Amino acid sequence: MATKSIQKKHSVTQNEEPILVISGLHKRYSEGKSNEVHAIRGLDLTVRKGDMMAIMGPSGCGKTTLLNMIGHLDRRSEGNIVIDSIDTATLSDGKMTGFRRDKIGFIFQLFNLFPFLSAVENVETPLLLKGMKAGVAREQAKMVLRELGMGDRLYHLPSELSGGQQQRVAVARALITEPAIILGDEPTGDLDSTTSADVMNLFRRINKLNRQTLVLVTHNRWIAEQCDYIVHMTDGKISRVEQGPFTKEETQ
Amino acid sequence: MGLKSSFMVAKRSLWRRKTKNLSAILAVTLGVTLLVGIQITTNTLENAFLTSLLQNEGEVDFSVVNATTGGYLTAADIANISALVPNAVGIMPELTIDVPIMLGSQFDSSVELAGISTDFPEEFGTFYDWKTGDEIDIGDYLTDNTTILLSSKLAENLGLDKDVALPISVTTEFTNLTVSITVDPTTGNYTATPTYNTERVELTVVAIFDSSRPGIGSKYKMIMALEYVQQWRSLQDTTRETNCISSYLIALKTDHFTTEIDEDYLQEQVDLFEESIPEDTYSVESNRLTFFSVAEIVMTLLSTMLTALGLLVMVTGILLITNVQLMSVEDREFQTGVLRAVGENRRGIVQSILIENVFQGILGGMFGLIGGLAFGQAVALYLVELFGTGQHSVQPVVSQEIVILAVIVGVALGIITGILPALRASRVNIVDALRGIKSSFEEKSGRNLALLGILAVITGVIVLLYNGVLNEAYQPIWVSEGWNTLDEWRTILTGAGLLFSGAGIVLSRFISRTKALNITAIALWAAPVFLFAVAMGEWITDITGLATDILIIGVTEILVGSILIVAVNLPPVMNALRNLLVKMKGLKGVGQIAPALISSHKSRSTLTYAIFAVIMTLNVTVAILVPTNLSSVNQTGEDSRGVDLIVSLNKAEAQIANTSYVEELYKLDSHITDVIAFKTYSTTTDYTKFVAVNDPYSSEFNAQTDLLPIGYGEITSDQIRGNATDTYDSDWRYDFYLSSFPDSITQPLESDVSDEELLDMSKQAWDLFFNSSYTMAAYNVSLDALLSEDRDLSDVDLSGLEGYGGNELEGVEVLQDENGNVIENPVVFTDSFILPIGLQIWIPMNMSEYGVPVYQAFTVAGRLDSNRAGGFPLSSFSVGNILSEGDFDFVDFLGKIYLTEYWANQTNFLAEANGKTSTSRASNQYDCFLIKTTYDIEDQELESIAQTIEEFTNTNDDGYRLLASDNFYVASTTLLYSTVESTLEMTERVVSFLQIYVTFGLVIGAVGMAVISVRNVSERKREIGMMRAIGFPKTQVMISVLLELVVLGVIGLVIGIVNGVVISAGFANMQNATMIIPWSDLGVYLGFITLIALSAGAIPGWFASRIPPAEALRYVG
Ligand SMILES: Nc1ncnc2c1ncn2[C@@H]1O[C@H](COP(=O)(O)OP(=O)(O)OP(=O)(O)O)[C@@H](O)[C@H]1O
Ligand SMILES: [Mg+2]
Repeated sequence: MATKSIQKKHSVTQNEEPILVISGLHKRYSEGKSNEVHAIRGLDLTVRKGDMMAIMGPSGCGKTTLLNMIGHLDRRSEGNIVIDSIDTATLSDGKMTGFRRDKIGFIFQLFNLFPFLSAVENVETPLLLKGMKAGVAREQAKMVLRELGMGDRLYHLPSELSGGQQQRVAVARALITEPAIILGDEPTGDLDSTTSADVMNLFRRINKLNRQTLVLVTHNRWIAEQCDYIVHMTDGKISRVEQGPFTKEETQ
Repeated sequence: MGLKSSFMVAKRSLWRRKTKNLSAILAVTLGVTLLVGIQITTNTLENAFLTSLLQNEGEVDFSVVNATTGGYLTAADIANISALVPNAVGIMPELTIDVPIMLGSQFDSSVELAGISTDFPEEFGTFYDWKTGDEIDIGDYLTDNTTILLSSKLAENLGLDKDVALPISVTTEFTNLTVSITVDPTTGNYTATPTYNTERVELTVVAIFDSSRPGIGSKYKMIMALEYVQQWRSLQDTTRETNCISSYLIALKTDHFTTEIDEDYLQEQVDLFEESIPEDTYSVESNRLTFFSVAEIVMTLLSTMLTALGLLVMVTGILLITNVQLMSVEDREFQTGVLRAVGENRRGIVQSILIENVFQGILGGMFGLIGGLAFGQAVALYLVELFGTGQHSVQPVVSQEIVILAVIVGVALGIITGILPALRASRVNIVDALRGIKSSFEEKSGRNLALLGILAVITGVIVLLYNGVLNEAYQPIWVSEGWNTLDEWRTILTGAGLLFSGAGIVLSRFISRTKALNITAIALWAAPVFLFAVAMGEWITDITGLATDILIIGVTEILVGSILIVAVNLPPVMNALRNLLVKMKGLKGVGQIAPALISSHKSRSTLTYAIFAVIMTLNVTVAILVPTNLSSVNQTGEDSRGVDLIVSLNKAEAQIANTSYVEELYKLDSHITDVIAFKTYSTTTDYTKFVAVNDPYSSEFNAQTDLLPIGYGEITSDQIRGNATDTYDSDWRYDFYLSSFPDSITQPLESDVSDEELLDMSKQAWDLFFNSSYTMAAYNVSLDALLSEDRDLSDVDLSGLEGYGGNELEGVEVLQDENGNVIENPVVFTDSFILPIGLQIWIPMNMSEYGVPVYQAFTVAGRLDSNRAGGFPLSSFSVGNILSEGDFDFVDFLGKIYLTEYWANQTNFLAEANGKTSTSRASNQYDCFLIKTTYDIEDQELESIAQTIEEFTNTNDDGYRLLASDNFYVASTTLLYSTVESTLEMTERVVSFLQIYVTFGLVIGAVGMAVISVRNVSERKREIGMMRAIGFPKTQVMISVLLELVVLGVIGLVIGIVNGVVISAGFANMQNATMIIPWSDLGVYLGFITLIALSAGAIPGWFASRIPPAEALRYVG
């Protein structure tokens, strides 16, 4: 029922196909053991193509777990996930990997860059995985990094970058394959407000330009309000959906 | 925080990092296993070797003989002798003579027949029956002068087994000398004419005693009651003297085999006896003492070899341990950062790490001890089987010291290899550690380091100046002569090593570190490479002094240099690899990850491939050794100069009307194309036939030290030159190679002389040999080095048994007589390794009328090549035979001296110079036949020709025995190819033994890889999660894990191949052999290393690829 309300209220993307349909999702950690944790408890969610959605909720309510389920980084306990009309349960692990590579971009809560690769190498890796020529991939990676203001840090290792810079590299890596869905786990968590605004502008631009879908987890109300709507979670369930638009004035 | 908190931290991390500690303990275990194993191997070998030598001595500690060589003692001497050795527990007389023995077609030309009294003192032990094991009272058996007892060993050699029905009869011969005196009727002068007859006697073997059992039985081959041997011996005297004893045997204790006598005590007793004997009466011989020192010399040689090799393998163990320790520290750099941030001081951190290491060391040491015991025992047993040191069972010798050593070394290894990582941890920059920057040392010690560098440079220069400047015995490095001996190279390598290492450190302060290290690494590698690839063979022609220390220095520098070169250039190399992989479909992701991982964990990667670099360098060197030596087999057909088969008779052929042995041989098989007949003679006992190495007519002549029992041979122009007219005639009959030449053959003998040139030089030498007017100057060379008390085996080149190889006559002086004239003598050739070229020797020629030999002086002018085709075939000696059969004939070992026909005819052992003696023969009586056939040298058909010849000669009352009407003829045949093969077999055995050690190194390498891959995977969980998250398929995750290991292994292999080839090139140059690289073996190594890497990485890699990414991402280490 929560899903339906989203569809109705959301005007911008109302006519669009749903790109992500989650129904009856459960996730239990250490299933069957005494220390079992029921992190997701029967969650339904539909996201349409081109949606820019924020997820908010108290720490430990299952936001990261949900993103992991969507990205198929972990097995779910119960429920269905359909992405781009494909029921992911039918995919083999190999197919799923390719699917993830092509359709989903991740920005993690901890930055999760390869510590032994330079910024540009980190960014170009997904392109190489898609089979792109090394030279072309390098050029594209540079381009994206320059766009994110990292032009003078291309060859630095993550440990030589500030938290914000690392996050920008992570964003660049997620964006570079132009995935259908970008999952961001506090993508601006470590950024100062100006840079956060820059990143959010970037997100909004690609969202408009390429109609890429964005699912962002955040604790920051201001960030959340940059999105089309906000899904609130408590105890592994969606408790409330807040419909945008929230913004009064557009930055830039 | 003090020790206590360090303890707490150590204890906690020990417990929490169970698997990680396990790998450290495993590493220490392997290191200690190797160390203990080597120690046990050498100890056991030494013991086995010594036991097998001492077995021949029974309970005898020393023996007393007549001070005059060849003289006898009498029954009366017992009183004097017992007074002189108050500490003796037993004294027994013994008379030995050497006789031939024939049983059917089995023949032994010289067996010691010992006469002992039937009631010998029981302190000397007891004889036991071979079959039943019962005690034998020899008095019951040895009742007459044709009754003997045989040792089980001799019985076996004669083809008997335990089921033989006794008594059996064997044939022997005793010499019978009669002198007829004629009086000249006109002058009234007496002329004494000695006649030597041979008494052929059938002896009856009534019992066979067990000679494998320690005690008196192990000492003798064939015994008869003393009085009867005295009878037989007396036939050799014109006076028929029977009261003769060759020696009194002294036992200072009993049961030598359970507790060996103390060497010092024995020496003391011998010295005491020697001091107290009246002049010119007795002299003392102690084989036991000699064996002690022989065993020591041989074992020192062997154990340095083993230790050298073991040390190099140990290096891999140390590399592994360091690597493991380093990983632990890297692993917890973050924690260390936290610890430091919350206030732990540096000392505390070092302490806690060291406590952990000590614990690992103790455990590793204990496990290593157990492993070492097993390893040592296995290797020792294998060795004994390999070299056949004797049938008696070999007990691994485990001394108490080893146990203590193992634990100490374990702890030491733990601590030493832990110090560097511990220091590194303590120096960790707190901020960097917390941020996850893999920092290197803080550059605080730069200044001290530079100072150290300058010091190294200065020391290096001083060492380099040692040659020629500080030590005038060597030439300085700025003249080319300063580079042509190994001793000079020892200093050059050491100096260069110090200089270049120091220079690198100093330079790194001025130019980039990479550049500086590159220069150091290349220079460090190049210096010994130059020695091996260029200098050895080209400049250095004499390797007789090739000592293990030079090898170790050279190999170490090559290893360090090569490993450093790759380490310094790892980033560009890995970048190249990345660029290559990134172009390949399906490997792009792997290419992005694996090479970057390798160069980002530089020390870990370096230590890993270093293990393989060391092992592979050794392995490749050993692998090349075999085919390089084998190449000389392929050369055999060429080197044998056509001879396929050697036949030797136990004595000179009979004089038969209308035929000869040669003609009979031709009749046996139509494939025989040429039979070259030779005369040889060897003596073990008749000192009147010994060669003198000092002027027998001078007052300084000492019969005890200046006579050598070397054999003789006659070589005639017809045998060698055939119908050839000059050097360039192709019609030579048997143009065997020389390895040393008369000084008038002017070309300097350099190692790069081609075979054709060598052959031409050899032919010129043969021309000189047969030129009766040719004489050669004698030189101031001597046998002292070999024969003096403090002889040193390193003076003799054991590898080729070439003795004083190369250009001996350089720098030695020509001998002059008292008038200042150069002493020139007729020449002889030799295949003996102990006679240096240029040496003046005296050979007993015809007998004077008093039965005393007349000596003729000669110069040793040429040496026959002892390597080609297994050496000159007339002396049956070959390295393979000696080492494989354990006991060998010393006389054969010494080789022979070859005389021309003219001089041979002046002797009464190769001809009948002036009247017959027991050894003389007519000019057409040959005993050794070299046979050429139409077959190839390795053709199987030769075997059947050999068999035909043996059947023809060795069948009673048939064939040759019938023709000669003498059943005492025995022919033994040898295929030339088999002599070469046995030498090769020996090489292969040695190699297979070396391989054990090298293989152990591979095990260490494999364990290293496994440890690393387990750690890599567990440490990189997050990275692996990330890889999966951004779309790496499982296969690529797996390939990344595996590729890293394969690449490291292959780097090690490549270094190993390059180094191995370089080192082998040096050895091949020295031996004048063509180096053959066994590519297929190297392929196997490649496969093997890949396999190690794959299997080490497979399980961790598989687990890694299966971790759910979300879980992996959560991992915080
Ligand atoms: N591997 C795991 N094993 C057991 N429990 C887990 C595991 N991963 C997460 N949990 C639990 O599941 C619940 C949801 O965790 P999740 O990481 O999704 O929270 P979150 O909403 O992202 O919180 P935050 O805002 O703090 O990041 C938490 O109670 C957490 O303790
Ligand atoms: Mg979270």
